[in-house]
Amino acid sequence: MEFGPILRSMGRNKVRYGLIVVEVALTLAIVANCVNMIGDARREMARPSGFDDDNILSVRSAPFAPAFKEDGYLDAALRKDIEVLRAIPGVHAVSNTRFLPWQGGGSSTTTRVLGSKGEMLRNQVYNADESTLETLGSRLVEGRNFTREEVESDTKRLREVTNSNRPRGADGQPIDKISQDVIISRAFGDLLFKDGKSLGKSLEDDDGDQYRIVGVIDHFYNPYGWPIHEYVMFFPNYSRSFQGGSAYLLRVDPGKMKTVRPQVEKALLAANAGRNVQLKELTEIKERFQSQSALLVKILSLVIFLLLFVTSLGIVGLTVFSVAERTRQIGTRRALGARKLDILGYFLLENWLVTTMGLVIGVALAYGLNVALVTRLNGTRMDAGLVIIGVALLWIFGLGATYFPARKGAAVAPAVATRNV
Amino acid sequence: MLLHNLRIAWKSLRRNITLSILIVSGIALGIAVSTTFAAFRHAFSKDPIPQKSDVLRYVRLDSWDPLKPYPGDDPTRPPTQITFRDMQGIMKSTIPLRQSGMFVSNMYVYPDPKVGRPFRELTRLCFSDFFPMFDVPFRYGSGWDRKADAGPDPVVVLSSEMNQKLFGGKNSVGRTVRLADRDFRVVGVLAGWRPNVRFYDLTQNQIATPENIYIPFNFLRPMQIRTNGNTDGWGTSGAPGFEGFLQSETCWVQFWAELPNEKSAAAYRDFLTAYVLEQKKMGRFQRPLNNRLSTVSEMMADAGVVPKQATAMLIVSLLFLAVCAVNLVGLLLGKFLARGGEVGVRRALGASRADIFLQHIVECELIAVLGGLVGILLSLGALAGMNAWLKTTMARGDFFKLDLSMILLSVGLSLAAGFIAGVYPAWRTCRLAPAMHLKV
Repeated sequence: MEFGPILRSMGRNKVRYGLIVVEVALTLAIVANCVNMIGDARREMARPSGFDDDNILSVRSAPFAPAFKEDGYLDAALRKDIEVLRAIPGVHAVSNTRFLPWQGGGSSTTTRVLGSKGEMLRNQVYNADESTLETLGSRLVEGRNFTREEVESDTKRLREVTNSNRPRGADGQPIDKISQDVIISRAFGDLLFKDGKSLGKSLEDDDGDQYRIVGVIDHFYNPYGWPIHEYVMFFPNYSRSFQGGSAYLLRVDPGKMKTVRPQVEKALLAANAGRNVQLKELTEIKERFQSQSALLVKILSLVIFLLLFVTSLGIVGLTVFSVAERTRQIGTRRALGARKLDILGYFLLENWLVTTMGLVIGVALAYGLNVALVTRLNGTRMDAGLVIIGVALLWIFGLGATYFPARKGAAVAPAVATRNV
Repeated sequence: MLLHNLRIAWKSLRRNITLSILIVSGIALGIAVSTTFAAFRHAFSKDPIPQKSDVLRYVRLDSWDPLKPYPGDDPTRPPTQITFRDMQGIMKSTIPLRQSGMFVSNMYVYPDPKVGRPFRELTRLCFSDFFPMFDVPFRYGSGWDRKADAGPDPVVVLSSEMNQKLFGGKNSVGRTVRLADRDFRVVGVLAGWRPNVRFYDLTQNQIATPENIYIPFNFLRPMQIRTNGNTDGWGTSGAPGFEGFLQSETCWVQFWAELPNEKSAAAYRDFLTAYVLEQKKMGRFQRPLNNRLSTVSEMMADAGVVPKQATAMLIVSLLFLAVCAVNLVGLLLGKFLARGGEVGVRRALGASRADIFLQHIVECELIAVLGGLVGILLSLGALAGMNAWLKTTMARGDFFKLDLSMILLSVGLSLAAGFIAGVYPAWRTCRLAPAMHLKV
């Protein structure tokens, strides 16, 4: 092939080719890192929650009628609400819980294995009733679910305790301890117990209150401000108050969201008008939570596209000038018997060499930039496969950008060589 | 002379319109991308209250669990908020020119039935100093006075949006608003207070607009108002009921002090130290002394207001501009060197190398400025798109702006890119030997 002449001619125009080398190198570095960031964002967005996200509706009732200040009234209203919601056709399950997935937070507490004297571990904590797991679509892998009687009796007991002045001993802890049965996520169980066998064991919190693990669910993921996304403890309790209102999750039969949603507010206000009702589909909450990542993906994709466009432009420019400058040489070569294909091949090879030099430097730059960004973003290290894809992409773009101006060069007539000598 | 250079540059651009459009659009893309990301980051990082950012201090005290530090990225940081007890304790100090504890609650507003059903609204409970301390602008009336804090008197300040909603935008000072179970008298209506970041409370929704309703803090107890903000607790739960919550070690109050000079800041620091040492004697504050008196910008850095991605994207966008500049070098080099004949004639007629160099640099800058202008327009479009996106998620459509500093930055970037890209081609062109190009 024509490596010799190509390299010699490039040596005479170091700057011009050098510029393209730099441009290709920078482009590879940026494209590879952008693709890496897109990959991170998409992986984060694609993480499953473990719930039936598509068919869950959050319903929040915020009372303002003064009657709601009375405990008995609140209880009756809660029972009525659940009854009314269950009666809506297309509703699969209804639960009274303050847990709301995908809102980027929730409530948390610290616990440790009972009697372990170990470090207190932070975990998410939410009230649940007997239908919560069914409503979320969570699968119980060990133990049992809460029973309705248990939720009712625990609710009563907890309320008595919080309303009483819990007398405290010398250690600052209440003398009367509460003991409750709870359901935890498997990830939390694995964190607490090295052998992962958590069923039947007990935990304690700072007050010395005890929590016996009676059930384990297999997958739970709710992004939190602290790194406790997969650790959760559900305790049996109906939760409602005048200030905080009451919160429900509805799971509808697949595809029934559109027909169920418009009926919910009407049904609840018909049952009791002294309040406001707020509805949100879980998919909306999730979309909002992920909107920043989604925007990032869009912007980075646009940057990649523009960058490839600009770089191709540079390569087109280079080839156009290189062809214009060599019109006479091309004519001479053609007159001496070179085929059009030879001329085309010359330019393509020349460009391929320049691009490849750029890519070699670009791989180093890409890793360098990755290290700089990783320390800032706690992102992931770049995958080698990604760099290879970037290299292939730039080869294709480089050859494509050379092809059209080079074809024009190849079309130069041999007669041109004889003119103006 | 410069005008003459510009005229020639313009003519040269017009000679090959397609090429010129390509060159200008290349640089315009670079400027558009870098300006957009600079403005994106700037929207978060901009000082929200520049006239006072040196004198405002956010107070943090480490009353957290003796056994382990407050959770978060940095274990040396005290809790983000303070306890109600400590707020009461440190408010006894007379050193700050102004000071206020504060929190946000979700309260029911009962409008005139003709206006609509009752609705819940985020309401800030604060002291009278809040308004002058943060230079809050008023359209009608003013904030309340310290006497109303002590009462507490049932007074309320509304945002202009809330005034629009409840009173159709008329001067409502003296009118009544029912919040939860009480009537409050309107004393002031804000005049569109919209800092880019809600700097006075960075614990939640940092870029949301300020709350629409403000009432005196001391209604906390009589109305038993619960916070809607973060409550960070540790250890035992404390006594039951509302009073038990107030007396607990739960951190949920934000606290700001205005300290007009370094002397008062030092005195206040000493006061806080003495306060904590006093509390230690009573068995509280078992962790090492760790009081923080942070400026607005320190607080914004601690709270991570600027998204990490924003900085990464800015770096990427500047590299993008670098690619565009390199690209420009190549294109200009081709364009200029093809002009040997013209340069030869000018040199032969007496133009010096410096004249030729200047001529070509001017042409590069003209290209860069044109590209910059197009880039700024493109970036305005991009920011409008991002605002529309933010409006759907945050109900705020004015967050991303191209203010004067950003426009200057992008003009500066264009000029720099034009110069950097132009130096080498211009230098090469002015070194062309005239004789070579005069032969025919």
